[in-house]
Amino acid sequence: MATQSPPSPSSTAGNPPTLAAETSQQATGVQQDGPPEAAEQPISSPSVFVNSEPMREEQVQNAVKFLSHPKVRGSPVIYRRSFLEKKGLTKEEIDEAFRRVPDPPPSAQATSANQADGQVKSSSSNIQSQAPTQALQPQPAGAAPTAVSPASTMMMSRFHWYHAVLAVGLLAASGAGTAVFIKKSLIPRLKSWIRKVVLEEEDDSENKSIAKPSLAEEAAAAAKAAAAAASDVAKASQELLNSKNEERRYFSELMNLLDVQLQEMKSMSNSIRKLEGPSNNSGRTSLVNQEDHRDSVTGVKQPYANGKADFDMQSVRSSSPPAPGEPSVAPHPKSYMEIMAMVQRGEKPPNIRDINDLPPNPNQQLPNPRLAPKAKPWEVGQAQIASGQVIQSQVSAEGLNFKVQDNGLNHQSDDDSSVPWWQRKNVKITEVGEDEIKAGPYGVRTNEPPVQRTWVPPQPPPVVMPEAAEAIRRPKPSGPTEQSTSHQLASQASEVADELQRITKISEVGGIEEIKGNGSVQNSSEIQEEQETHA
Amino acid sequence: MPVFKTPFNGYSVKFSPFYESRLAVATAQNFGILGNGRVHVLDLSPAAPALTELVAFDTADGVYDLAWSESHDSLLIAAVADGSVKIYDTALPPTANPIRSLHEHTREVHSADYNPTRRDSFITSSWDDTVKLWTVDRPTSVRTFKEHAYCVYNATWNPRHSDVFCSASGDCTLRIWDVREMGSTMIIPAHEFEILACDWNKYDDCLIASASVDKSIKIWDVRNYRVPIAVLNGHGYAVRKVKFSPHKRNLLASCSYDMTVCLWDFMVEDALVGRYDHHTEFAVGVDMSVLVEGLLASTGWDELVYVWQQGMDPRAV
Repeated sequence: MATQSPPSPSSTAGNPPTLAAETSQQATGVQQDGPPEAAEQPISSPSVFVNSEPMREEQVQNAVKFLSHPKVRGSPVIYRRSFLEKKGLTKEEIDEAFRRVPDPPPSAQATSANQADGQVKSSSSNIQSQAPTQALQPQPAGAAPTAVSPASTMMMSRFHWYHAVLAVGLLAASGAGTAVFIKKSLIPRLKSWIRKVVLEEEDDSENKSIAKPSLAEEAAAAAKAAAAAASDVAKASQELLNSKNEERRYFSELMNLLDVQLQEMKSMSNSIRKLEGPSNNSGRTSLVNQEDHRDSVTGVKQPYANGKADFDMQSVRSSSPPAPGEPSVAPHPKSYMEIMAMVQRGEKPPNIRDINDLPPNPNQQLPNPRLAPKAKPWEVGQAQIASGQVIQSQVSAEGLNFKVQDNGLNHQSDDDSSVPWWQRKNVKITEVGEDEIKAGPYGVRTNEPPVQRTWVPPQPPPVVMPEAAEAIRRPKPSGPTEQSTSHQLASQASEVADELQRITKISEVGGIEEIKGNGSVQNSSEIQEEQETHA
Repeated sequence: MPVFKTPFNGYSVKFSPFYESRLAVATAQNFGILGNGRVHVLDLSPAAPALTELVAFDTADGVYDLAWSESHDSLLIAAVADGSVKIYDTALPPTANPIRSLHEHTREVHSADYNPTRRDSFITSSWDDTVKLWTVDRPTSVRTFKEHAYCVYNATWNPRHSDVFCSASGDCTLRIWDVREMGSTMIIPAHEFEILACDWNKYDDCLIASASVDKSIKIWDVRNYRVPIAVLNGHGYAVRKVKFSPHKRNLLASCSYDMTVCLWDFMVEDALVGRYDHHTEFAVGVDMSVLVEGLLASTGWDELVYVWQQGMDPRAV
């Protein structure tokens, strides 16, 4: 009866069998839909709580494309299903999509090993591609379910990091080299120009008087040369600057990517440390942290820990660069953060006591109900409940006229004038209800329209004989009761008339019709009526 | 309006369906991260607004939720963080309690709900992705419903159909189940983020409210479940619990990590009809009394339990 599909987030080879099990379960579930629904549901229309839409072919095809994707193939079935459910597909559509996607052969060990490899690679690329897009939140958790894959992804990402580092180094080296080269070529040029100018000036100073116009010309020429040199220098420095800017840009881009990956790795290593860490007193996954960081519970169930830890990594990641649309995390109280930190370090908060909360007597008897269950306010007006209470009123009217309530805490009956403080309502809410409780309640109730009223439904008086109440509330099949009442009738009739004893002994069940006594006939008809109303 | 200070952080509060003045509070030490728990049974004294403790039960681990029995006036179901479900008889002293401890869930039990129509069974939902069906007299669960891909934070019975219940999960879906069926009968991808609570409308058995981490409450009609009937925005942080009024068709109460308890009328354009900001930490539990119209109770991580009439200030003396 209990349906438990085996949780297997960590085994890829187990996927096809669980898939087959799931689909067979679903198929039988669908088949069972028909008869139970038709048999039951006398009140409402055939269950509104079921999807009655026809299968949408377009959705099924999209799902098939999704499921055929190699990256998706490596993830556990439950996360594939969860993704499709979040997209709004119905169960039937999801099952149909699973049916259409060809399953890999389950028996081949080699293929399962290949699957594991492919899963590792796909999971690594998955994690990298997940960093900017947060669309598939539980999906990437499935992409890296095993403890092995985080390590391998770390290796893959390290590889990538090395690549990046090398590239950056090369760029820097080339930029530096060109800068040095240019400087080396510039400085001698400059120096040579300066020397030339100085030499020419010295020569000119000797021949100043003679060669003034030539001096001026030479000065002009020198100035031109200097200007050319300066422009060359400017050009070179500009080129340097440009290359530096480009380098900076490359650097910043790479640093961003590196930051992201660094934090991923930090979180992964954190969770791995925790997995290896103390198994007895680590803090539990706190509900409040579902938006950001989460500490996984260790030890108790390893598969769950693995699966949850990886999901936790995804939740952790969501805190560092906030994904677009992610709701802001509520600020936690300071003491909460302190306790979380303590637990993460492996310390136990000091105020915890060792309490034995097991039942002292596991076979302790359940108490007898002291009060009859009360009708809910929304059930008022329903035909069933109203008739139920009419019968109760018959029972109560026969001999029970209790006003004092058993519970001792209900003060409605005690006070007529002062009402408990929690009953004082706003002015507009009717106080008619209070009066109605005292007057004939049941007649009023059945006359009331089914619009909900603001009065508290009157409590049925407590029954003196709980067995009678139980018997009336739970109608037994009429056969045995008729036999038992007929036994009683038989005993009564034998007291009345001796001649009837023989007849009743012969046929006790059919004796009801044959008994001619007046009183017994009336009794039997009354009891039969009551039984009929209850059946 | 009375206040009660609990030694531990509050997690859930529930009114008794038998006694107007009685309520139970579930608490957990250290915010429920790690530590003991305690169940308090409180009584409203009629004359002066005060809350007195009738009895309290200690547990080894935090208690996340409670459910009063609908058949036995003194029985109380507790959902405990160590995965066990404990049944307490509030008429017996603490030394004779609990009378049952049912340990089947493999992770924290986050919610418990008693069947209000059949009155013989209850469901518990857990972070182990399952919902379990129990009766008080059986030592093992009757059924286990396992389909969610993540923690099931809440499961509630339909108030009219005795075999139908709804579950809200961290996998961002609501699922509707029928205990007579093998699996869930409907899946509603209600939010883009985790769904923390769900509740049925008491007067229209096809309406469900779902409360999510995305700070919104959505009202769904199962007959047309692709689009919500209403989206209630107004909370500043995740909405932790939602409860439809037992007396008014359109009224619902919610509590949130923004420390407020809000009242909504989902049929009105401007749905927020009341806001109470009496808590000084996350407001985590809220309940509306079935026996007394307009009576509200709430509890939070500030270790306080408030009971007040709708329209009044919970902190008023």
